[in-house]
Amino acid sequence: MIFFWLFIQTDYHGTDRIPYAVNIFFRIDPLIGAAAVLASKTLISLIIPSVLFLLSALLFGRWFCGWMCPLGTLLDSIHPLTLGKLTQPGNPRRRLRFVLLVVILASAAFGLPLVGWFDPFSILIRGLAVSIYPGFDAAVSSFFSFTYQHGGTTLNSLTEPVYDALKATILPFRRSAFQWTLISGFFLIAVFFLEKWERRGFCRNVCPLGALYGLTAGVGLFRGRGGDSGCGSCSICRTICRMGAIDDTRKISMTDCNLCMDCIEACPRSIISFSWKNRQTATQPAGNAISRRTFIGAALSGVVLPSLVSAEVTSQNILRLLRPPGAREESEFLARCVRCGECMKVCIGNALHPLLLEAGIAGVFSPVVLPRSGYCEYNCTLCGQVCPTGAIRILTPVQKKRWVIGTATFDKTRCLPYRGVNCMVCEEHCPVPDKAIRFREADTFNPAGMPVVVKQPYLVPDLCIGCGVCEQKCPLPGPSAIRVTAIGETRNPRNADPALMMTDGYSS
Amino acid sequence: MHRRTFIISAAATAALAAISRKGYSVSGPARLVTGKNKDYRELVRQTIARLGGMPAFVKPGAVVVIKPNIGWDRTPEQGADTHPVIVTTLIELALEAGASTVKVFDRTCNEARMCYVNSGIGPAVEAISDKRVKIFHVEDRHFVNTRITAGKNLNEWPIHKEVLEADCYINVPVAKHHGLSDLTLGLKNNMGVIGGNRGLIHMSLGQKLADLATVIPTKLTVIDATRMLLRHGPQGGRIEDVHVADTLVASTDPVAADAFATTLFGIRPDSIESTARAYELGLGEMDVAKMDIIRLQ
Repeated sequence: MIFFWLFIQTDYHGTDRIPYAVNIFFRIDPLIGAAAVLASKTLISLIIPSVLFLLSALLFGRWFCGWMCPLGTLLDSIHPLTLGKLTQPGNPRRRLRFVLLVVILASAAFGLPLVGWFDPFSILIRGLAVSIYPGFDAAVSSFFSFTYQHGGTTLNSLTEPVYDALKATILPFRRSAFQWTLISGFFLIAVFFLEKWERRGFCRNVCPLGALYGLTAGVGLFRGRGGDSGCGSCSICRTICRMGAIDDTRKISMTDCNLCMDCIEACPRSIISFSWKNRQTATQPAGNAISRRTFIGAALSGVVLPSLVSAEVTSQNILRLLRPPGAREESEFLARCVRCGECMKVCIGNALHPLLLEAGIAGVFSPVVLPRSGYCEYNCTLCGQVCPTGAIRILTPVQKKRWVIGTATFDKTRCLPYRGVNCMVCEEHCPVPDKAIRFREADTFNPAGMPVVVKQPYLVPDLCIGCGVCEQKCPLPGPSAIRVTAIGETRNPRNADPALMMTDGYSS
Repeated sequence: MHRRTFIISAAATAALAAISRKGYSVSGPARLVTGKNKDYRELVRQTIARLGGMPAFVKPGAVVVIKPNIGWDRTPEQGADTHPVIVTTLIELALEAGASTVKVFDRTCNEARMCYVNSGIGPAVEAISDKRVKIFHVEDRHFVNTRITAGKNLNEWPIHKEVLEADCYINVPVAKHHGLSDLTLGLKNNMGVIGGNRGLIHMSLGQKLADLATVIPTKLTVIDATRMLLRHGPQGGRIEDVHVADTLVASTDPVAADAFATTLFGIRPDSIESTARAYELGLGEMDVAKMDIIRLQ
């Protein structure tokens, strides 16, 4: 519940400051923390709380997975809806998640960010932000639009207060639309489908964060005492265990147990207990979580994968790779970004969208400004404030207004005033007080061939900050007649000098 | 009845009908009140009083829409939006006249919440904290396609349902420079109550604004020239571009209000496209000499 409240709070509330953001979940996520530190080769102070959480697993096992994880809680609550089997005994220490953990951390260190593909918070928030939440809004508000427009006064006196109440609480201020929305949401939907196949299927098999907690808890002080030979043929504990943590001899694997405590209540003999005292007496199932051979294989994959990916051509779209204001230099940005989609959720202009393959495999689901869909608000600095890893830096309002996302260029073959028709919508919306878009009167011919005097816009590159409002507001159908490119962007010295970029041919 | 009396009375009826269709020429010269005062609340109260008082426009129980310019994420000093005190004073007057509901909104250009907050209008209106006063944001669902039969350029456009259904629509623009149309005044402010792709309105802007004015039922136009943005409009952003004039212009004639406000900038009223086109459509007077102008002392 706290999670969903925070998720909805990740929005504009009358000031350019976010007091509560859902990114606190990332601050306590040791997987994200480890990957970000390995990738950026710097210690990020933001992750200190996550280290404490990881250490807590030594004392209390995987309490986080059972009592805190928002994705786990969601899975438990939707489980009855999946009509999947209520319970299913499993074998402790499924291997895939450990392999994923090693691959993710190793490839992070060697320059390929993969953590956003599998981290449960990334999957959950990104899926909600760009897929489920906008879809929910579409369903609810189209119903109330219908009643508003066709319902008449009587019905509206009933429906409008309901709509207002929903709008004030759970509906977004305005409907956002995203590119690749279903593909981004697919991971979350897939996690739900895993739940049908096996209870907590994602947690048991895939979750690398759970694997990290599990490895810690497995060597920790907290132990569960399971059944013994006196249990006979009873295997209730094993049958109801949602994590498949209890093996066929009723030993409890602390690598898997998420401390839901259901087995304590269900045990007819009431012999199951969890305590630090059990450390001497309670044995865990035999064997290690991951064999040495698997570990080395996974680690090597993590080293080799980044090299394979670096052979990929990614410069094709470089000039349309407009990153949010405050974004770090591209490789550092990709290394830190955990693909959580929080910046896309908070972006009040609906400017930020997930990438698919436009920036190569390494850029999948990272945020990009698509000005035709939404522009960057001049007075807004929210994306940097919600970024959990500092991939987007926090800018002051003054810094923000000077931050160059890119530079606009006119397509004079399409721009209306260059075809003899007055327009000037771009000039009107340019937020720079001195106007990066200006106009001069010119003699030309209108579409009917008559001589006319029109106001033709031109750009002052030194003033343009690439916010993209011009591209968004251009009234032409289809592509805008003014487009923002990454030329001149603040974060990239290579792109800093427009003149150089023009002659250099921007071969990256 | 003699044939002659029949013909004369028929012709007279037809002529009267033709005149009254224009609606404005039969009620005498356009009345306009203008004044200057540093106390904006007092300025609004005196101006409306001399125009006949708010009860002349707002009957008890009426639903009133007050439409300020909240288009830009700018502060009051920057002169891009209507001054909050002008809006709240008009709301007070409407409530005193017995309005059942006063609705305030604008379809903004920048992010709507930022505009409402930073223009000062949102907090000022909410501070009235009266259940009859409703400030809300515009949503797509609010717009209904409306036929514009008298339009020369537009035949149909989506218009805000609350404006069409209001008993009294009060247009409260801020007077300022505009790159394309030279000035933005009352008729241009109506763009905040229309839906659709507003960028397309900018081709033949003046004629389209005049066409829209034929279907937007404006009872009263109150032009805020307390701060006049002289350059880099309509969005501005530089204090140097703002001239503090402490002036207000109000009229029941939307064309007269725009025409008179144009003279404050030292510009000829007929050089503003929307004013000239609206005059041609018979929507009001643009010749300042023909107006009944009351100047507050």
